[in-house]
Amino acid sequence: MSVLVKIENLTKTFADTSMSLGPKRPPVRAVDGVSFEVMKGEALAVVGESGCGKSTLGRLLLHLIQPDSGKIDFEGEDLNAMGSEQIRRMRQRMQMVFQDPFGSLSPRRTIADIIAEPMDAFGLSGTRKERREKVAELLRQVGLPPAYMDRKPRQFSGGQRQRIGIARAISVDPAFIVADEPVSALDVSIQAQIINLMQDLQESKGFSYLFIAHDLAVVRHIADRVAVMYLGRIVELGTKEQIYSAPHHPYTEALLSAAPHPDPSRRTGRIILEGDVPSPTNVPSGCAFRTRCPLAQDRCAKERPALREVEPGRVTACHFAMPHPIANRSTAA
Amino acid sequence: MTEPLLDIRNLCVDFGPASKPLRVAHNISFTVGAGETVGLVGESGSGKSMTALSVLRLVPEAARLSGEILYGGRDLLALPKRDMPEVRGKEIGMVFQEPMSSLNPVMTIGAQIEEAILLHERMPAAERRKRVIDLLRLVGMPDPEARVNAYPGQFSGGMRQRVMAAIAMACNPRLLIADEPTTALDVTIQAQVLAMMLDIRDRLNSAILLITHDLGVVAEVCERIVVMYAGHVVEDADVHTLFSRPRHPYTQGLLQSVPTLTDTRKRLYQIPGSVPPAGTITQGCPFRARCPKRLDRCAVEMPPMVTQGPSHRAACWATAMEAVA
Repeated sequence: MSVLVKIENLTKTFADTSMSLGPKRPPVRAVDGVSFEVMKGEALAVVGESGCGKSTLGRLLLHLIQPDSGKIDFEGEDLNAMGSEQIRRMRQRMQMVFQDPFGSLSPRRTIADIIAEPMDAFGLSGTRKERREKVAELLRQVGLPPAYMDRKPRQFSGGQRQRIGIARAISVDPAFIVADEPVSALDVSIQAQIINLMQDLQESKGFSYLFIAHDLAVVRHIADRVAVMYLGRIVELGTKEQIYSAPHHPYTEALLSAAPHPDPSRRTGRIILEGDVPSPTNVPSGCAFRTRCPLAQDRCAKERPALREVEPGRVTACHFAMPHPIANRSTAA
Repeated sequence: MTEPLLDIRNLCVDFGPASKPLRVAHNISFTVGAGETVGLVGESGSGKSMTALSVLRLVPEAARLSGEILYGGRDLLALPKRDMPEVRGKEIGMVFQEPMSSLNPVMTIGAQIEEAILLHERMPAAERRKRVIDLLRLVGMPDPEARVNAYPGQFSGGMRQRVMAAIAMACNPRLLIADEPTTALDVTIQAQVLAMMLDIRDRLNSAILLITHDLGVVAEVCERIVVMYAGHVVEDADVHTLFSRPRHPYTQGLLQSVPTLTDTRKRLYQIPGSVPPAGTITQGCPFRARCPKRLDRCAVEMPPMVTQGPSHRAACWATAMEAVA
C-alpha cells in the first residue's frame, strides 16, 4: 500500500486570546509532536478522551488550522509549501464529516444545495440538470430517496442528516475523509447503519479515513489501524488486532478495560484509573500519563518516553511497555 | 413477595390539548424493589427520561400524568403538590446528566450539599459540616476537608457528578434516580462514577433507577432491565436473561447492532429505519415498521406484556405466538 498522508512531528499550541481581564491562561499544547502515515484506502482511527487533541489533529491534517511546526505531506506534496490556490485545489481531495453535519449550515437551504456545495465550489456541478442528477445519485448512494433533495434540513432525523453529511463529503470524490465523531450523537440502532454505510462507501470508492472517536467499540468496526492519544501525544499505534488483543501501553489497556461491555457475564477485572486527565495547560513532566499510571516510576517523571517500535507495525511510548493480553474478554460472539 | 419500593402502574404522559393529546409515555408499568438496581433503557424519544421525571413530578407544566406511581405504598401522583418537596431529596434522590447546569456556580459545593440537608433535617451546624464531609468521602472525593470550600467551576466533569451524587444522597434516600449520569463523561471517568454508584448502593442499600441509552452501562451495573421504545415498555427482564435470551425483536436488534470490543463481525447488524417521532404512531405496535417479525395484527393492536419466564415479560405478538406454539 502506498502512503496518502504523512505527518511528521506536528505540533500546535493555542494561546489564551480571550479579552477577559485578569491573568492570561498558559498556552495549551493541543498536539505535541505527532507523526504517522495514512495509507491509501486505509481507515486510521484516532482515539482518546476529551482534550487529548484528536479533533485538533484532524483539523491540522485538513489544513483548516496551521501547525506551529511539523510537516504534512499529502499525496507526496508538502502542504506548508503550497500557495493558497494550490491548497484550494487540494481541498477537493480531502473532505470532512462532522458530528453534527448541519451545525454550521443554513436551515433555509435545500438538501440539494447542501450536498452540491463542494461541487459548486470546485466547478464540478455542470448544468442545472446535471447537478440535480448528481445529487440524486449521491442520495441513492447514501441510502436516501432522491426525492428528498428539495427538502430542508429540519425535516430529517439525526441518522438521515449524517447520511446527507456523508453524501456532501463524497460528492467531490475525495481521496481522504476526516470523520470527527461521526456517530457519537446518534442512537445505537442508527449508529450501526452509519458505520456500515461508511464502510461500504470506502470499499467501493477506495478513499482513506482518519476516523476520530472516543468509542473504542465503534472504532474496532471501522479501523484498520488505531492511534491512541493522551494529552496531545500518541502513546500507542498499531493494527486493530494488535491494539485490541494485547495493548502494550498501560493507558490503552485502561481505556479498553474501562469501556462498558454489553455482556453482564463479564463484569470482572476492570481497571479503574484514578484521578482526572491533567489540564493540557499543565502537562506532567516526562511521560504525560505517569500521574495516573499504575506502572509509573521515578524515570517516568524525568524522561519522556519516545515512540519506539515494539513489534512490526506497532509503536508505543512507554518505558515499561509490555503486552497486556485482554484475558477476560474472550473473542467469542 | 414483598411489596416493591417503587411500583409504576399504567403511567401515561400527555402533552397538548385533551381532545388531541400527544402521548409520550403509554401505560408504563414496572417496579423497583428495595435495594435493587434497575436500568431503564431506550433510545432518544423512548420516553425514559419523561418516565423518570414523572416519579418526582418534575415534568414540564404542560404535561398531564395519569396512572399510579406507588412509592412505599403511597401514590405520588395523588399527593398534593406541596407534599412533593418532602419526597424529593429525602425519599428519592436524583442525579442528572449535566451536573454543571444543576449546580450553583457561585456557591461552594459544601454549602450546596448543606442546603440539601437543611431542607429536610435539623441538626447543629458542626454536625452538618461533618455530614457534608462524610458525604464527600462517600462519593470518593479526594481530600474532602479542603474541597468542601471549592466552587463547582474548580471541578472536572467527573468530580461534579460526584458532588451531584453527594447532594442526592444527603438525606439517605431509599431510591436514587440517575438520568444518564455518565453520558457526558470520558470512558475512564465513567468507570469511576459507575463504581461510585455501586459502592453507594452497597453501603447504604439504596435502590437505583438508572436511565441510559448505553447497553454496556446497564450490563455492568444493573440487576434488572426495562427496555422502552417510542413511549412503551417493550421488555422487562433480569439482566442475564435480557442479554442472553431477549424476546422482543427490538431488544434483539438493539443487542445485535451494538459494536463491542470483542466481536469479529465484518458488518454490524442494523435495524432498518428510524425511531418514529413521538405521537406519530397512535395504533398498534410502535416498532412494527422496523420489525422483521411483524404480523397483520401488529398494525391494529398494541401487544400486551406477556410473561416469558420468571421475571421476564415482553410485549410482542410474534413472541407471544411462539410462546404458545
